[in-house]
Order: sequence, then C-alpha cells, then structure tokens
Amino acid sequence: MSNPKPASALRFLKWFCPEHLHEEIEGDLIQKFHRDVQAYGERKAKRRLTWNVIRFFRPGIILRNQTKLSLTAFYMITNYFKVASRIMIRNKAYSFINISGLALGMTGAILLFLWIAHEFSYEQFHADKHRIYKAWNRALENGQVNCWDTTPRILAPTLEEEFSPVEAAISYARWDSKHLFTVGETRLLKTSGVFTDPALLTIFSFPLLEGNPAKALESPNSIVLTESFARQLFGSREAFGEAVTVSQSGHSFEFTVSGILKDLPSNTDFNFEYLIPFSFLESLGEKNTFWGNNSVATFVKMKEGTDLISFDEQVKGIVKKHYADGQHIEIFLYPLTKMRLYSRFENGVQAGGRIEIIRMLGILGVCLIAIACINFINLSTARAQRRSKEVAVRKVTGAFRHSLVMQFLCESALVALGAGVLSLFAVYLVLPFFNVLVQQQLVLDFGNITFWAAALGFVLLTGLLAGGYPALYLSSFRPVGILKGALVSSANRNTLRTLLVVFQFGFAVMLIISVIVVRKQIDFVQNRESGYVKDNLVYIPLTGDLGKNYPTFKNELLQAGIAVSVTKTSAPITEQWSSTGGIQWSGKNPEDRTDFERIYMDDHPSATFGLTILKGRDFDLQQFANDSTGVLLNETALKVMGFENPIGEIIKDNRMEWHVIGVMKDFVFTSPFQKIEPIVLFGGTKLRNAFNEIYIKLNPENTVQENLAMLSGLSKKYNPDYPFEYHFADVEYARKFANLEATLTITTVFTSIAIFIACLGLLGLSTYLIEARVKEIGIRKVLGGSVLSIMKLLSMSSLKPIFIAIIVFSPATWFAMNWWLNSFAYRVSLSTWTFFMAGIVLIAVALITISIQTYRAANANPVDSLRNE
Amino acid sequence: MAKDYLGEFEELVLTMVAALQEDAYGAAIAEEIETRLKREVNLSAVHVTLYRLEDKGYLKSKMGGGTQERGGRRKRIYTITNAGLAMLKAMKEARLDLWKLVPQLKIVSV
Repeated sequence: MSNPKPASALRFLKWFCPEHLHEEIEGDLIQKFHRDVQAYGERKAKRRLTWNVIRFFRPGIILRNQTKLSLTAFYMITNYFKVASRIMIRNKAYSFINISGLALGMTGAILLFLWIAHEFSYEQFHADKHRIYKAWNRALENGQVNCWDTTPRILAPTLEEEFSPVEAAISYARWDSKHLFTVGETRLLKTSGVFTDPALLTIFSFPLLEGNPAKALESPNSIVLTESFARQLFGSREAFGEAVTVSQSGHSFEFTVSGILKDLPSNTDFNFEYLIPFSFLESLGEKNTFWGNNSVATFVKMKEGTDLISFDEQVKGIVKKHYADGQHIEIFLYPLTKMRLYSRFENGVQAGGRIEIIRMLGILGVCLIAIACINFINLSTARAQRRSKEVAVRKVTGAFRHSLVMQFLCESALVALGAGVLSLFAVYLVLPFFNVLVQQQLVLDFGNITFWAAALGFVLLTGLLAGGYPALYLSSFRPVGILKGALVSSANRNTLRTLLVVFQFGFAVMLIISVIVVRKQIDFVQNRESGYVKDNLVYIPLTGDLGKNYPTFKNELLQAGIAVSVTKTSAPITEQWSSTGGIQWSGKNPEDRTDFERIYMDDHPSATFGLTILKGRDFDLQQFANDSTGVLLNETALKVMGFENPIGEIIKDNRMEWHVIGVMKDFVFTSPFQKIEPIVLFGGTKLRNAFNEIYIKLNPENTVQENLAMLSGLSKKYNPDYPFEYHFADVEYARKFANLEATLTITTVFTSIAIFIACLGLLGLSTYLIEARVKEIGIRKVLGGSVLSIMKLLSMSSLKPIFIAIIVFSPATWFAMNWWLNSFAYRVSLSTWTFFMAGIVLIAVALITISIQTYRAANANPVDSLRNE
Repeated sequence: MAKDYLGEFEELVLTMVAALQEDAYGAAIAEEIETRLKREVNLSAVHVTLYRLEDKGYLKSKMGGGTQERGGRRKRIYTITNAGLAMLKAMKEARLDLWKLVPQLKIVSV
C-alpha cells in the first residue's frame, strides 16, 4: 500500500494526541484511509482523513495527556518560588529595598490609574451614548474663532421641529437660582435645580425609581426629585405624588412630585437634585424665543444611523436663518462622551481639555513604576557577581538557559507579588484621603473579577518589566570562566546603570521643580492686589421678603451700627454672572465684539467694596435719581471704548440707554488667576429681579461675632421664611486657590514618593558599589588616603548620574512648566533660581542618603579588608 | 446498578467488543457498526467511548499486532471484563422486564 497520506493532518494529530494513544489512533486512521481510497477514490479519502483527524481534536482525547506534563512544570515552578523566597529571606536589606520601593511605586500608580479609569468612565453608562450630542456655538469674533456651549433656549425646539434626523432635543439650564422647598415643617434652601424639557429622562440613562420617564415632566407643575433629596424633604414618607411648595424671590408655587430619580452616579458631569420643566417657566411669562440669549445648554439625541458630518452641514446655518444679528454664529454638535475630557477649543479647533491632565497623570503613574523597576534592575545587576557561581553550577548540572530565565523571573514575580499585596493594602487605607484630595469618589471594586484580573496582570507585568533584563543577563553567564574564578565584567553594565539612575533622578528633578513652581505661582497670585477691600465684607442672598423689606433692612443695619455701607448686587463679585458682546457706544467699530462683564449694583459700591473712583463719582440714588440708568466703567472697559472724556457718554445695552457717571480702578473680578476683563457696572434699580445678593461692609468697631449675631437677628426679622445664610468675601476669594492648593498637595505627595524610591535605589546601589571597591579603599588607606578624600571619591561616583540628570532634564522641565503656567493669565515668570534650588535640594537629599555608607566604608580598618584573599 | 449506567452508544460499543472478541479494536468496531446497523459512526467517538469504558472498568486492553494496511501501526485490542459482561447482562434483563410490561399488540401496517 503506497497511497500518499496527507502528512500535515497526521502531524497535527501527533501534536495534540496523548503519547500512549497516538499509535493505535493513527493506525486506525490510516486503515480507514486505505479503505476509503478503495470506496471513494483518493481525493475524497484524503478529505475524509483530515476531517477525521480534526474530529479527534476533542476534550475526551486531548485532556488525557495533560496530567503528566503539567505536574513537572508545577514542581519546577514550586521549586523556583522556594529558592526565590530563600534568597529573599537571606538578603533581608536587599529584599526590603526592592519590595518597599516597588510597593510605593505601585501604590502611587494604582491610585493614579484608578483616577484615570474613573475619568474615562464619565457618561459611558448612557445606553445611547453614541447618539447623544451637546450643541456648541462657533463664531468669528475679533478675528478669532470662539467656541462655547451655552445656546439659546429656542434652539432645542427648533432643532426638533426643523430637522428630521433629530430624535429629541432638550434645553438644560442650571442657573443656581435659590429655591426654598417647603413640605409641612421641613424647609430647605437649594440651588441645585435644573430647568429642562421632558425628554431629558428618555435621552439619558438616569433611571427613575418611581414615575414614568416619558411623562414625568409633562405637566408644567411637575417636579422630579432625586432619591436622597426626596428623603431630606419627606423623611421616610412616600414622596411620589405628593405636593411640595417651591418659592423663589417671594413667589410660591405648588408642585407635584411626579418622579423619583435614582441618585446620580459619581461618573457624570450632570449635577442636579431636582428637575423642573421649562413649560412651568413658560406658563408664567412669555416664551424665551430670543436667539441672542445664550443661557442654556442644549442636548440632542439623533436617530439611529444618522451621518453626523452631513447633519452638521445642515445644522450650521440655523442661527443665521433665525437671527439677524447672529450671522457670524454657527451651531455644531459635539459628542456627549467627549464632553468631559475633550472640551477645550482653540480658535475653533479641538485642542484637548481635561485629557491633557489625564495624560500627565498617566505618565506620572508609568514613571513611578519605572523608577521602582529601575531599582530592581540596578540592584540585581549590581549583585550579579554574587549570583554568578549559582548560575554556573546550575548550568554545569544541566540547567537550560530558559529554565534559568524562568527561575529569575519567578524571583521578580515574587517580589512584585509581595509589593502588589502591600500596595493594595496601602491603596485601601489611603483611598479616602486621596478622594478628598482629588475630589473624586474612587472605589476599589473588590467584588469585580475584572479588577482582580487587572491587578494580577499589573503585578505580573511589573514583575516582567523589573525582572526581564536581569533574568536575561544573569542567565547568560558562561560557567567555565566563572568556575575558574574569573570576575563578571561589568563595564557596560555600569553605563546602563548610570543611564537608569539618570532617568530616575531626572524624573525626580522634574517633580521637584514643578512643586516649587506651583508653590511660587500660588504665592504670586495670593499677593496680587485685588483692588477691593475684603476685610469685614460679607454678602447674604437676597431671598424671600428681603426684596420687599430691603430699604428698612438696610436702614436698620446702618442705624444699629452693624454696617458701614450696604450695596445690592446681581451676583457675588467672585462669580461670573453675565457677559455680553452686544454693548454699543458711539465710535464703536462694528466688527468689535469684545465681551464685557455685566454686573448690576445699587448705591455706593465704591464705599462697600473699597473701590477707587478715578473719574466721576460713585452711584448715589438719594441725590441723583437718574443714577438708576448710570454706569461705572473699569479702566480696561474705558480703554476698549476709547472715550477721551467718558463722563456723560451714552452706551446701549439690551435695548436700553445708559450714561457713564464714573471710572473705577481695575479690580479682580471672578478669579485672581485671570486677566482683568472690561467690566461695566450698571445701576440696575429699574430692572425687575436684577439683584440677588446684598453686600454688607461690617462695622470694624464691633467684633465679627457681634456683627453676625445682630445680622442674623435682623435677617430673621425681615425674612422669617428663609434660613440665615452668609458668605465672607475673603473666604470666597481664598476658595479660588483650592484647586491649585490641591494640585500642589498632589504633586508634593508624588514627588516625595518618587524621591524616596529613587533614594532607596541609590542606597542599595551605593552599598554594592562600595562592597565591590572594599579592597581598593583598603589599599588607598594604606597608601595614606584620608577619610575625607575617600568619602569624596565614593560620593562623587554616586552623585555623578544625579548631576547629569539635573543638567539633562532641566530644559525639558522648563518647557513643561511654561506650558502649565500659560494656562493662567496672571502668572509668575520662571527663574533659573528655581532650577538651581531644585538641584541643590536633590543633591543634598542624595548626599544624606549615602553619607552613612561612605563614612563607614572610609573609616573601616584596611586590615579587615586586605587580610583575606 | 443504581450508580452505574451505560449510555446507548456505550452499550453498543461494549456489545461489539464482546462480539468481536480477538478482533475488537477502534476501526473494526466502527466498521462493524456501520455495516451491521447501517449507522454512520465517527471514529473519534468510538475511541473516546472505548477509553471511557476502560476507565469505568468494563474493558481492558493490550497492544496487538500491526498490519501493512495500518502503515505498521499496532492495534489496541479490547476485551470485555467480567464487570462489563455483568453490566451488559443486567441491562439486557432490565430491558426485557420492561418490554414484558408493554401490551403485546401486533404491529399493524397502516
């Protein structure tokens, strides 16, 4: 019988078939093949054979060969781990440096990675996230393309009406208006409400615990509460279907709770405790159909399978079509899923956003791990001499190189595993503090299998990263030379080690410099002249009956000596409230669309805030009744308008005419980090509901406690329905620094970790380097070398890589820090001093780290080191 | 008996081993089933069943001779053990007992 058999099929059989079954199965198959040749012909028989072989590839056959093989591998791996743990126990200091360094690095990295994962999970839970978009404006203004995401209220209904690919569109307005909720005896003042359209509940995946998502916001007097807000209001009683009274600016309305929302998850940028339909606002007054009023966000859900590029083409001209003054404005849709991380536009082009910070954090995490891994690599290669005999003996007795590699990898895996367990503990302990620091709600999801898989993968990857190179290097020794007594040559290893140390300390340099720069920036801005006097300045919300009782309230404050001066304003001056590009004045360039900050105030703002009036005078309605249509400009606004003689000039805003009565010196409005914007201060007493806050300059002759007690009494008297609430202007001002202070703390923490790990490595490395030069030191001492000169020699060899690191990495840091500082309009300039200081700090830390070692080595009696050979 | 149970195919293969005696090996059993019962069988299924029956102790095996048709590969010859024989008998009797319960009607061709 010489029919050719398909050899590849039989090779496949040999590969998977258990040894002891192979012969008979193959025999049976060949026999069958020959009979098939006679029955069906050669070609068909071949196909049948291949098919039969494939059918033998089944668990009943394959699993019969596993037991024997896996046992050997299992025994070897157990043995590797046994040897590894013995070696670790024998070299306690070495193991300590490795494990603690790695654990610290991993802890830092895990915290950062948890944070990053959380950031990426934002808005990912919406079932239709890929069909949801936010509407943005794009407009050419003063030669620059500006993008912003507040739109006219009329946009959403127009989109639904005019464009068939739109499934639903809603307006979403979080205006922070003060609403007083009353249910029986319970009263709560809330600003966390959102006005929106009914479709919000069907567009997004915010599940309702009770109520029908399609209908919950349909009636104008319906309100949807979150679970926890409902509990605050109703306690343990059923809230669904109940009535609740909501009051704003002295008016009260009855609402029916038509839905209870599950509390919003932590990974969403939506932030509200109750929803009120726009139809309620519109039932009170007329609909806001003005296209020039950008006051709400607009979200759009497209129909399945819409091509967004062509849709964007269509939707572009919507403002142009409806709004004569908006010929320069285009609307475009931006995906919801990118809202969190990619929402910064520069000159109309997507230019990153929060993702830049996230990338930095990712790099920081990877670098922390890298620094810790470098310690492992350096220490392992530095100790190569000690392990060389072991490797040689193993090789002589027949070890393959790959099994040696395996053994060393097991060692590093064990170190990584120990570090991993330690760092999980550490993360668990510090996570609450870290959450406060970064203002997130991160959790370790112990019940999640993916979490454990990721953790294990992370540990093994770290082990491979740290142990990969040392394993290849150590297993490459030639046993002949080593057993004859030759030394392991380490010249090029030294170069590698130096490079790695340079990287470690380079990273540390960058971090130290960034800490110093952030600190300097904070100090610099804190010392900025704010232009107004914050001491003894408080503001209280103008709520309830205070509007009606204001004149008496103010009089009594002044009479009782609580206040020196009182002014109503439209918003706290630390918050942006309203801005406009539509102010007109004589001689204005029609192309000019400069944005002016708009703020309304009544009497004596300069007295209350301590502003300096440069020209003209302060608001004084008692004396000059037409101050109610007067405005004050700041210097920047005056410069923009370019009046030679500003007093008496007429400007137009919101179809009203105003006359300039004075110019004030620039002061810090909203944030001290921003440059001074042009501000127009309107005397808004004629407008309805223009005022929201009362600023009170307290009498400095009383103590603050006395003043507040009296103020609280008066507030109860004139505004009995509302709880007394007050804010100090200086506290609110200081709050602007909270973000930066947090950045500073985070960088400081991670810098300390990085430096600590790097120093641990330096300590270990210098120990081994000194050990290797012990004879040299002995000879030098015998020949008359002084302790100091030997210490200098040893220190210099350890410090050299650090000098290189400082020189090489400083320029890179310079660029990075310049980039960071550029995000602030008001910023400190970088000086070479900063870099010098960082270098000195680092060298000092490194010197202290190695000084004990070098001192001991230099002081040792040369007899001890030279006596034995 | 309560614990052990043979599947239909297992029983078939076991019976074949008992019937073929000295010539009971994988390919022969498969071929015999195909020719006698006109039933398409899969060689790998026969092998897996034989191994399973051996694991259960109903069969034992030894390597036999090779032929040229098999490319010189040896056969694994199976023989039925006493336990296997007892099992077969028990199953046959149980089947008969049940059969007796069925009213013996004539099969009428429709």
